[in-house]
Amino acid sequence: MLIYILRRIASAVSVVIVTLVASFGLFFVAPTDPAGTICGQRCTPERYADISASLNLDEPVVQQVGEYLKGLAVGRTYHSGGLTIECDAPCLGYSYTLGQPVTKLIGQALPVTVSIVLGGAVVYLIAGILGGIIAARRRGTYLDRLMVGTSLGINAVPYFVVALLVSLYVTFLPHAGYHPLLENPLTWATGLLAAWLTLGLANAASYTRYARASMIETLGEDYIRTARAKGISERRVVYRHGLRAAITPIATIFGLDLAFQLTGAIFTEAMFGLPGLGVLTLRAFNQYDLPVLMGGVLIGSVVLVAMNLLVDILYTILDPRVRLG
Amino acid sequence: MEPMVTEPQVLRAGEPGDERVQSVASPVAPVRTVSKSPTRIALARLRRDRIAMICAAICVAYVLIAIFAPLLARLAGQNASDLHQDLIDEFGFPTIGPTSEHWFGVEPRLGRDLFARWVYGARPSLIVAVAVTTITTIIGVVVGLVAGFSGGWVDRVLSWLIDLVLSLPYLLFAIASSAVLVAIFGGPDGAGSEDVAQIRFISLICVLSFFGWASLARLVRGQVLSLREREFVAAAKVLGIPTRQVLFKELLPNLVAPIVVSVSLALPGYVVAEAGLTVLGAGLIEPTPSWGLTISAATTYYRADPLYLWLPVLGITILVLALSLLGDAVRDAFDPRTRR
Repeated sequence: MLIYILRRIASAVSVVIVTLVASFGLFFVAPTDPAGTICGQRCTPERYADISASLNLDEPVVQQVGEYLKGLAVGRTYHSGGLTIECDAPCLGYSYTLGQPVTKLIGQALPVTVSIVLGGAVVYLIAGILGGIIAARRRGTYLDRLMVGTSLGINAVPYFVVALLVSLYVTFLPHAGYHPLLENPLTWATGLLAAWLTLGLANAASYTRYARASMIETLGEDYIRTARAKGISERRVVYRHGLRAAITPIATIFGLDLAFQLTGAIFTEAMFGLPGLGVLTLRAFNQYDLPVLMGGVLIGSVVLVAMNLLVDILYTILDPRVRLG
Repeated sequence: MEPMVTEPQVLRAGEPGDERVQSVASPVAPVRTVSKSPTRIALARLRRDRIAMICAAICVAYVLIAIFAPLLARLAGQNASDLHQDLIDEFGFPTIGPTSEHWFGVEPRLGRDLFARWVYGARPSLIVAVAVTTITTIIGVVVGLVAGFSGGWVDRVLSWLIDLVLSLPYLLFAIASSAVLVAIFGGPDGAGSEDVAQIRFISLICVLSFFGWASLARLVRGQVLSLREREFVAAAKVLGIPTRQVLFKELLPNLVAPIVVSVSLALPGYVVAEAGLTVLGAGLIEPTPSWGLTISAATTYYRADPLYLWLPVLGITILVLALSLLGDAVRDAFDPRTRR
């Protein structure tokens, strides 16, 4: 078990390192003139020289990557227009367009994305699993067919269209916006409600089908028949005996979905105007803000790799049948 | 249901493309059965599926619209880039609705004909989806075949590459790398807008292809790992058939089902990906007529000019709906477990 976990961690770290080197190569080596791109349209020669020197662009590539890694570990110093900017320990670079360290920008964006995704997850887990149980227990009835049909229909509509239409036409929900949780939990929740419901209900459609399929399979098992034969109430059979076993495959899908959404909540963020990681990356794209792009991609892949790792490890704990040699 | 078969091993050894008439020996009386390839059985099942046929018809209609876009636009007497400023008031709103001259009305602000924009808009969606699906399928199948069949360090390197691509944050990376691709192949201010639009078009195809091949490669590799231990592969090897031929003549026909499934998921997926990235501003750009672009421009006018927003939204939604339902039907048809 321990060896398995260590091996998975090693492979996860290797992926992150390769992502770092590859994206570094992509962003700072391949384009003809990264300093010019970062500097922007009204670029003075001094500023250009500042940026070039700060990014060590005149040094060999290996050294540039080394500087970047060193910045991650102990921080580094940037110069911009005569000012000296200290970029503290996990330094992902400095955004010359926004005049702020990338770490700080991502630190502001990440809570927004996490809030959207976790809140949405609560909605779709509850709605999806309950819906799936109801459909599974009434398998073959009109209600079941209606639920499966609706869920297929919702999933066939592109998500960005759903988010766009909700953000434009559903006006009775509170206006979307992000307010930090610690300042005022109530405004935090109301500001995110529209995003939660959109993300939640769109995903609840697929979770209804997963839960239904898993539940139907479980309810056909012998031990469920035994439980019924013992005379336990149907509610107890379904929720205690059935759901416990049916939830494992859903948990796996959920883990992978969560990882994907943390790095791909961009449509929800963009349509509702919430300043998360995706919107940050999008803004960086529009302004050719390479350091932010690089930081966003890097943090995104760390989140993704870490979540995948966590799912794999949790799965071995959740499902006792998974034995590792 | 399996047909009456006395020697399953012999039958299984044949390829799906095998269409010989086989006489199956039976102890009582010789029964002649016509063996159909799984692909033919699947296609026959598909033809009986009414929803699938309707969806296929819708998809064909979209393809025809895309191919004959110039013709359709000329039929309406319009084209996609003419500005009709005379039909726009001083606030940028169109003064006309749908008329006999402008079938879907005109765009706010620029006053281009919406019908022409709409029919031309079918093109980038379909071209991107088909191109990316083709590229990713070819790369995915080849990588999967080679990795699964050769084993050893080749397999280890390719599998690691597959894992790497699958663990990249797809959307963030797609946005970031298209920024870089555009910067490499002509900066934001260097080239004319037509050229930049062209570069964005190609870079979108490249980026989507880069992230798309890995899942199919993994699927194919898994299948090949089990197939390569089978007798017919051993037989082919013993006969001295070259590896390339073993891969593409012996193994590939056995992979039709997973490839078809993957394609059926990929097509609607890439239509959505193109439109989604374009709506976000990270995909295609003006002057390419694209539904995604129209949607993102129309969100500011959704109350004043709902038709402007809804035409491309419906265009994409119906296309994706038809493609997904057709894909579902194709998957059912190719899945032996759902055979009735």
